Amino acid sequence: MIDKFTLEVIQNALVAIGDEMFVAMQRTSMSPIIYESLDYAVGLTSREGHLLAQGNGVTAFLACLDSVVQSTLEKYPQERISPGDVFIANTPYAGGGTHLSDVSIVMPIFFEEELIAFSVNKAHWTELGGTYPGSVSTVSTEVFQEGMHFPFIKIKDKGVLNEAILDMIRSNVRLPDSTLGDLFAGLAAAKVGAKRLVELVAKYGRDSFFMAENAMLEYGEAMTIEALKKFPKGTFTGESFLEDDGFGNGPFPLKVTIHISDQGMEVDFTGSHSQLQSPLNLSYTGLVTGVRSVFKAITTPHLPANGGAFRPLRVICEPGTVLSAQAPAACSIYYETLITAIDLVWRVLAEAIPGLLPAGHLRSVCATFISGLHPDTNQFYVQAEPLAGGWGASEDHDGNRGQLSCGSGESYNIPIEIREMRYGLMVRQYAFHNEGGGYGEFQGGNGQYLDFEILSEEAFLTAAFLGAKTPTWGAEGGIDGSFNYLVIIRKDGTEEPYSLVSNIRLEKGDVVRCVTATGGGYGNPKNRPKYKVLEDLKNGYITKEQAISHYLIS
Amino acid sequence: MRVATDVGGTFTDIVIYDYDPHTKTVNSILTAKTDTTPPNYEEGIMEGLKASNISLEQVNFFAHGTTVVINALTERKGAKTGLITTKGFRDVLEIARANRPDLFNFNFVKQAPFVPRHLRLEVEERINYKGEIIQELRLADVDQAVQVFLEESVEAIAVCCLHAYRNPQNEQAIAERLQELLPDIPVICSYQVNREWREYERTSSTVLSAYTTPLTVHYLNRLVDKLRNRGLNHAPYIMQSNGGISTLNAVKSNPISLVESGPASGIIGAAELGKAINRKNLIVLDIGGTTAKCSLIEKGQLKITSSYKIEASPTQAGYPIQTPVIDIVEIGNGGGSIVWIDPGGKLHVGPQSAGAVPGPAAYGKGGMQVTTTDANLLCGRIHPDFFMGGKMQPNISNIHKAIAPLEKQLGMDKYQIAKGILTIANANMVNALKLISVNKGYDPRDFSLLVIGGGGPLHAPYLAEELHISEIIVPVNAGVFSALGMLMADLRRDLLRTQVYTVTVENLSQFQTILQEMEYETIQHYAQDGHDSTEIMFEYFADMRYAGQEHYVKVPFPRPPSSPKDLDDLTTRFHQEHKRKYTFELEVPIEWVNFHLVAKVEVEKPLFPKQPSPNSQTKAPIYGEYPVDFGKFGKATAAIVERDKLTPGMTLEGPGLIVESSTSTVVPPGFHLTVDDWGNLLIKPMDT
Repeated sequence: MIDKFTLEVIQNALVAIGDEMFVAMQRTSMSPIIYESLDYAVGLTSREGHLLAQGNGVTAFLACLDSVVQSTLEKYPQERISPGDVFIANTPYAGGGTHLSDVSIVMPIFFEEELIAFSVNKAHWTELGGTYPGSVSTVSTEVFQEGMHFPFIKIKDKGVLNEAILDMIRSNVRLPDSTLGDLFAGLAAAKVGAKRLVELVAKYGRDSFFMAENAMLEYGEAMTIEALKKFPKGTFTGESFLEDDGFGNGPFPLKVTIHISDQGMEVDFTGSHSQLQSPLNLSYTGLVTGVRSVFKAITTPHLPANGGAFRPLRVICEPGTVLSAQAPAACSIYYETLITAIDLVWRVLAEAIPGLLPAGHLRSVCATFISGLHPDTNQFYVQAEPLAGGWGASEDHDGNRGQLSCGSGESYNIPIEIREMRYGLMVRQYAFHNEGGGYGEFQGGNGQYLDFEILSEEAFLTAAFLGAKTPTWGAEGGIDGSFNYLVIIRKDGTEEPYSLVSNIRLEKGDVVRCVTATGGGYGNPKNRPKYKVLEDLKNGYITKEQAISHYLIS
Repeated sequence: MRVATDVGGTFTDIVIYDYDPHTKTVNSILTAKTDTTPPNYEEGIMEGLKASNISLEQVNFFAHGTTVVINALTERKGAKTGLITTKGFRDVLEIARANRPDLFNFNFVKQAPFVPRHLRLEVEERINYKGEIIQELRLADVDQAVQVFLEESVEAIAVCCLHAYRNPQNEQAIAERLQELLPDIPVICSYQVNREWREYERTSSTVLSAYTTPLTVHYLNRLVDKLRNRGLNHAPYIMQSNGGISTLNAVKSNPISLVESGPASGIIGAAELGKAINRKNLIVLDIGGTTAKCSLIEKGQLKITSSYKIEASPTQAGYPIQTPVIDIVEIGNGGGSIVWIDPGGKLHVGPQSAGAVPGPAAYGKGGMQVTTTDANLLCGRIHPDFFMGGKMQPNISNIHKAIAPLEKQLGMDKYQIAKGILTIANANMVNALKLISVNKGYDPRDFSLLVIGGGGPLHAPYLAEELHISEIIVPVNAGVFSALGMLMADLRRDLLRTQVYTVTVENLSQFQTILQEMEYETIQHYAQDGHDSTEIMFEYFADMRYAGQEHYVKVPFPRPPSSPKDLDDLTTRFHQEHKRKYTFELEVPIEWVNFHLVAKVEVEKPLFPKQPSPNSQTKAPIYGEYPVDFGKFGKATAAIVERDKLTPGMTLEGPGLIVESSTSTVVPPGFHLTVDDWGNLLIKPMDT
């Protein structure tokens, strides 16, 4: 009989393996969106596909690693999996699914001929082909326009790499070295996890490992049930909408009903709008991921990700809605819908349980994809990145400034000095703005400007900034914040505002101004102490006019 | 005579070597320990010197390690600092990298910048990534900033312009103007701190250096005055974070280079001891009261990184400091780490520490939470007669009281729990040791484990067994090892410069030019301190990557490349290093990102003294016996041996406990101990 402490040592070792895989992937990948934005996740699952450990860069993959293994097992039952096999998958509508750009590598782990676990990762590869550079479009109507599709196939068969798949990739994507580099980084990270797990099982024995696995899942569940005890029980409902489908249509309603009991939480999206002929569709897996991230935020934010912690959560949504899209729905901008869904659950819970969560934050990834030829080297590039903005204030602090959205996490902005060299753009300013909003006893965090000047003869911009029509929301008497949008300032001074845009042509001297929202305020502005208002004024976080009209400072 | 002083958080250590410079043999070693005396740290040093009764006139080398910089940062006691940046970029310092390590916590609160927004001022100027000035500096903007700084009584100024790592001209012009208008206020430019790219990291480093300048300069001046008054004829040397010492003037112009002064000297001491006893591959572990720190030494070389951060944690991004620092992994597990159970019934050790007050339950000073030290006492791995150097009897009944709630919650008896606590603490340390070894592609079997600090020798056998390390080294004077290491350090400067080139024969002359410029820069610096270029030894490193990657691998090379073959050798080394670290190689172009030059000037130093072996006795003298629970190595009655009765050549077979004032060395059953010629304890499992 193995003792409790050894079980814990095994569990801690599993978490450490997840961390090591995470670093291996970051440091070898070729896509800035992996190595800077850390738009990927790595992990280990049980042989049935229960999540054991996950190293995360972003919150948005919380339901992806376990479900991609489960879907792999549906196609390849255990008896058809051999040592040395590795699978590749990016199907949006099955387990692990988000959009085609997020590619999963699934590596079965064998110990003495027995399948014992899986080593998995999922990462946003910058280029997978499709209509537009970066494989992202705000105007696609079917998935076929969004790049290559790997439907749970073997990239390695009994240890032999499938060269045909590599050739297919090489001839279908715009940046083949980078895309293949990401594939090798994924394989290397999976291998690290598999190797370490085999070492661990060799040390403690197969039976101890399986016991530790079960204990770990039960522990996650116990921690979550314990946390749920402090919440009021009941049913809470709310509505929101998806602002735009990329073609100027909308809004499209989203509905949620949340039941909280001692035993768990049920989140039901019945009644939400049907799927769209637009790339803003979210798959059911993506929806579960989003709900899990809020659920984790309110129950066990500091517990390492663990499948047991999600056992008390049920997510309900009938197939075919914009939150549970089916083939062949386009979904390259799924993440904007994902964050809209998170924001809805977040707001309903914030209203139901005051003080639990801060007011609304920028609520969009504000992703931009700029492509073109580097003016000095003539090399083709795609710059893909999420943008930082303002977060909402909470019951005891002002909102954060300069943070990526809730869909990101340990993701980084791209340093100006690096991007100017790599892409040949010129950044004109990177600064907080004073577009107003977010007033409250606690002030929402300022949004910001990021201005790019194009130095090459031409370049192309794709971007999705939802939140151009609806501001971030204030809470408990706090005032709403501001808006996300972008403006192209042409050489001649004309300004073109946009929210969702695909492959728009830019010329030398044009400036793209990306504007992210100020977060919502919390509490009545008249309760904000005067010294804080004066301090904000001195620091230029608010203007004199704003101080006078919203905080009544004379 | 050579003196080293190490000011730590709690104690100030002094080591005095009286030696013959001709034979390099040591006549005597004196050590002294006094209380650290914040904020006037120099008083503790003067106390210690007084107590040790030496005349500073006879001292020809005085080295000093200090926590003054790190304390100023963590306690926020630095200067009111202003910042000047390129127009449009004053918020870079506050936006930081926009990351949220606490990624599941939507109530995350971001760390505040060290310079508030109204003291971050912008000037018109712009340099592009090629280093070309595309917008001239507008000096009128500097003058305006000066007005604000005067009104606000700013005490230090940092300057960071975009791409200054490529071209520092505008920063230099700004600094000149500032010095003209504000001659009494220290100014630090980013190019003086580091010439690597990444504007946020460089701005942060420059700001923190400026922030700590007035206080550090003031402190060092006071110290030097007092030392002079007591007769010291030489200027003291200061221990830097990079494992080398430096001159007073050099550190005053960039105090952030001292940020990890204390831990660095312990590691350099380990490296030098390793050279003396012919152990070039070492994993060094220092377990103190609150944390355990570890670092890896390969072929006698320290690992240096410039991606260091303070106050970084799993939940906070921290503040980056791009300064060369010995690569150390630190975890919250030390002797005072508190044991606790979470709502899911899982037992944790640390990172909270009971500190010195109230301390472990065994102190009986009000500490009612069980710590690692208490668990070691319950298992008998610390002998009660020698607890805290024999100055204090451990309060065992208080430990029993403190552990009672855990017994109830876990349904186990206290001895089982104590053993479990140590199992978990050891596993935490193993994970930290893996981070610096296995995870970076090093096989621990190729290394010896050198343990220092009060806790190191207590835990070493468990860690060594887990990592298949076949030799443990417990050095003499493990308690003052940091101060001792300083006496072994050379003068050292690390220069890093970002200039991105594809590694091709066509670029060969560029590489040579850059390295020549860097060599020239260090020669100039050393000349200011009176060192001739012939005294300088250069070491070269290339930070390289596959084109398209962002992160790089540090590759050492013997001399500036002068032929295609040299470049071939360099790329071969890179492929090997990449494969070792990341398991694969690629056939794509290779980029050289950073040029890293190390320039050392060797100082005359003593050899590690060998100990006399007065008798031919080889069996260690036994003080007594004590029952010990060695955990996975079983329960046994251990032989108790006093460390100061051990002489070279003596041996002991486990089970045993070697006791001394600052620590206890555990020799489990199945392990064998020998004392080497220098008095170090070498412990090995018997089957190897």
